[in-house]
Amino acid sequence: MTQASFFPGGSQAARGLLARFPFMPALLILIALIVLNGVFEPNSLSYRAIRGLVSTYLALMLLAVAQTYVVYAADIDLSIGAILSLVNVSVIVLLDIFGGSPAMVLLACVAGVGIGALCGLVNGLVVAGLRLQAIVATFATSILFTGLALYVLPVAGTPAPAAFWRTYGGSFFGVPFVFAAAVVTAIVLYLLARARLITQLLAVGDDAQAAFQSGLPVTAIRIKGYVLCGVFAALAALCVTGDTASGDPLVGGKMVLNSVAAVVLGGTALSGGFGSVVGSVIGALIIGLISSLVFFVGTPSEWQNLVQGLAILIALMVGVLVGRKDKS
Amino acid sequence: MSKLVLRDVRKAYGATVALANGALELAEGEVHVLIGSNGSGKSTLCKIVAGSVRPDGGEVLLDGQPVTVSGPQASHALGIGIFYQELSLAAHRTVAENISLARLPVKGGLFVDRQRARTIAARYIAPFADVVGAGFSPDAEVGSLRADQRQLVEIMKTLASEAPVLIFDEPTSALDRAQVDRFFEELRRLRGEGRSIVFISHRMDEIFNIGDRVTVIRDGRTVATKTIAETNQAEVIAAMVGENREFAIPATSDEGAATGNELQAPDGAPQSEGESARPVALQVENLTGSGFADVSFSLHEGEILGFGGLHGQGQSAVLRALYGTDTTLSGTISLAGRQSEVSSPRRAIREGFGYVSGDRGRDGVISGRPILENVMPVHFVKSRRPLAVPSRLNEQAIPALSALRTKFATLMHPISSLSGGNQQKVVIARWLIDRPRVLLLDDPTKGIDLSTKTELFALIRELAAEGMAILLYSSEDAELLGNADRILVFNGGAISRELQGAARTRFNLYEAAYSAAERAAS
Repeated sequence: MTQASFFPGGSQAARGLLARFPFMPALLILIALIVLNGVFEPNSLSYRAIRGLVSTYLALMLLAVAQTYVVYAADIDLSIGAILSLVNVSVIVLLDIFGGSPAMVLLACVAGVGIGALCGLVNGLVVAGLRLQAIVATFATSILFTGLALYVLPVAGTPAPAAFWRTYGGSFFGVPFVFAAAVVTAIVLYLLARARLITQLLAVGDDAQAAFQSGLPVTAIRIKGYVLCGVFAALAALCVTGDTASGDPLVGGKMVLNSVAAVVLGGTALSGGFGSVVGSVIGALIIGLISSLVFFVGTPSEWQNLVQGLAILIALMVGVLVGRKDKS
Repeated sequence: MSKLVLRDVRKAYGATVALANGALELAEGEVHVLIGSNGSGKSTLCKIVAGSVRPDGGEVLLDGQPVTVSGPQASHALGIGIFYQELSLAAHRTVAENISLARLPVKGGLFVDRQRARTIAARYIAPFADVVGAGFSPDAEVGSLRADQRQLVEIMKTLASEAPVLIFDEPTSALDRAQVDRFFEELRRLRGEGRSIVFISHRMDEIFNIGDRVTVIRDGRTVATKTIAETNQAEVIAAMVGENREFAIPATSDEGAATGNELQAPDGAPQSEGESARPVALQVENLTGSGFADVSFSLHEGEILGFGGLHGQGQSAVLRALYGTDTTLSGTISLAGRQSEVSSPRRAIREGFGYVSGDRGRDGVISGRPILENVMPVHFVKSRRPLAVPSRLNEQAIPALSALRTKFATLMHPISSLSGGNQQKVVIARWLIDRPRVLLLDDPTKGIDLSTKTELFALIRELAAEGMAILLYSSEDAELLGNADRILVFNGGAISRELQGAARTRFNLYEAAYSAAERAAS
């Protein structure tokens, strides 16, 4: 692998680099994938193509970020896909009822984020408050949220008002909205990384008993982590709504495990206490680029899933092997 | 006026009484030493004050007012800071973040003020600056530090609480001489400020160096409090030991009586100890692994060899290494003269090792499954049979269980329907169907009531009499003294002393464990 030459024999420098930037292996994989994409389809590096990629995968990036915050505390959220669906259909139905004026669109978005936060609160209360197993409890709430989404909008297809998708797909002063959104997200993530809550989440994930004995309000911290996760899942839902311009009560289902895979690809430990949101964003991009690469190399459609699965496995293996070599 | 008073504090975990009558009276501006043997209840007492353990009864008075310490946050609020023996650090966070974890300084109500966190950390690092060693800085990740440096971080974290009452539960176990001296200077300064300090250590020299008063706790009861000036080391050890300073009951029925012993080890079994004529069952040479180094000993057939000393000095680690659950770095293990590789428990079982852990929940019991399935796993490993016929299994399980007088309704009842003692009997019964050559007992009676304990040790002695070689680690010194033929006292992952014959007294064992703990100046 090309990565091996970047990390010769676990040298001191590489080890330090990996400790400070746990997403280094992921970044190398990402670069390799961009190069491969460029080789097989030179057009994929064009401005238009990149804009398309960001506008399609911004949602997954945000979802991966959402997942990262709960994984920090050694929790997991299998309901973020359902939260995404619920916010998606809620926003669409709200706009369908109250009309699609720009002010109404803004209001619906705020309501959507509120719904996401509320779902996160439910998860937090169930997992941290009632002390149920995170993986099973959020699986259960995912069914609950999906049920609500199906109640709100039983059949996929209600279109979003033009003000919504034109904004998402449009440009302001020559800057595409999705790029601006990505930059704003980056700034928010940069600021959030310095928030006290993040340090507390990581401390809880590191060793919950130690955090408790240190006097941290462990339950409250975990609940806040889930609320934060719900908010980012809702933001992801707004991106999906802008990208697909319609409501679909099941749209988020298949994105759940993609978000977990993105988090792991990005070097965040599922056991908690260690990782980075930057890694998760890169992980989401890796998943996106793998599917486009599979398409560009001309894989027959019936083989695309298989090749995509293999490619993700290989990417995971490379990340783990590089990480392991440099930790030992 | 007493700063902190504990009266008649009690705590039991199931059948095990951790604290029967804990009492402590801490004055303002003193360093109060708390001492007691393994499992006497010191740590439980501390955790009750810290709020991480809820007492079953008794009262806690702070400044003369009765208080309820409902949790660590409450104890922080009351002005109690505690150093946890097992440390309370987040490995991936920096030194600065760990030092002010509970009270991270913020700006704008949301963001961590890293600069201020660093300044705060620097303030508490400063007194230790020249003894912290290389790689220690406010920005260093705690997980990358050495054990002594991590212990210093926990000390700084405790000091940073700026609490009027400070409790240190074995804060010096990993520190070197210079670090301890510096720490003591800090303690003296804080005492001068009027802080009240509880100090727990197993090192006699430290206790007499830093303490003002000493409280001895034995079997969960506070037995004496004296000023350091009016007592001495022998008196403290005597108080820990209690009234009975008599010789331990000689356990071996057959020491030197190796007449009925026709089995000879292939290599002729060199008798380095020179007193047992029985062949060597297990020879361990220069075994080194995580938590122990350069451990050598030999174990004869029919012998019970005890591992003694303070908690966590490598005794369990050696047993787990022999059973293949922990990896070893170097050294040789020979079973009946033949070198053996124990890379996994599966290998170890087939080589002839058996292992019973006191931590049944983690290492022994297959919870939620019937008793029968809990008796048979070792048999499955050894017999290599692919099929398990229930009726055949019953025939083998029932005699093994009844040999231990295990009380059970039917073999198909879940193991959880049994008491802790009976569960442990089921685990031991595993090793009675296909008997191992060497049985490793890792504190096997933890949390078991007295009568079951007596039964278990009768069985263990019986097994030894039949020729099984047994390694026994027990956190209860009485069990070692009453059952082991020889006792190896562990300290810091190495064997520091061997007690045998008439030397196996409680007094000698304590003295070996505690004075061995006096460190060499480094």
